[in-house]
Amino acid sequence: MTKRIIDHPVLGTIENERTVTFTFDGKTYEGYERDTIASALLANDVRTIRRHEATGNPRSIYCNIGHCFECRCTVNDVSNIRACLTLIEENMVVKSGDVQPDPLNPNNEGPLPRTYEEYAERKAGDTDENA
Amino acid sequence: MKDVIICRCEEVSLTDLEDAAKKYNCSARELKLRTRAGMGFCGGRTCRPAVDKVLTSITGEDPTNNIPLKVAPPVRPLSLSDLGGVNHD
Repeated sequence: MTKRIIDHPVLGTIENERTVTFTFDGKTYEGYERDTIASALLANDVRTIRRHEATGNPRSIYCNIGHCFECRCTVNDVSNIRACLTLIEENMVVKSGDVQPDPLNPNNEGPLPRTYEEYAERKAGDTDENA
Repeated sequence: MKDVIICRCEEVSLTDLEDAAKKYNCSARELKLRTRAGMGFCGGRTCRPAVDKVLTSITGEDPTNNIPLKVAPPVRPLSLSDLGGVNHD
């Protein structure tokens, strides 16, 4: 809990907050009551909430007001929940998002053939190699 | 600066947009279809003004003329169960 602003000139001080335990990707974390998932994770130095579906680059909060859906995660098996708007609850199970298989290229076997001729050519090449 | 990401949902950089806009000298809608900027999870609500701006600076297209980037309901992503009222019966 080192990243928190404990004493704020306008918002006041944080003291005697009730702690709430939740898990994120299998690891247990503690946050304060009325923390959002995003703020609790940030306070625990977790900055990657999910990874981009195609490229796998890390993503975290961006707008932090529920507009951009960058911080979406899976909460108690409900997908696409915004971490910046959802308050943590006791024993909440939060999961991040990871790289998804490419629908056009499920086995990541390189560029797909664009025409049937290309496909037939490759197929012929494959059998030659195997023979 | 060139690696700045304009559309975070589809991870489209400023360079991608500029290159496509210069190469095809296209409308906002065509730019969107070519690069996928604005076609991601948030529905283009985050990057639409930036995409329009990039285009204006390169082709001089006024986003209010021509074929604009369409805004279609629902205005924000929502689940089918919310849409069907499962939680409000």
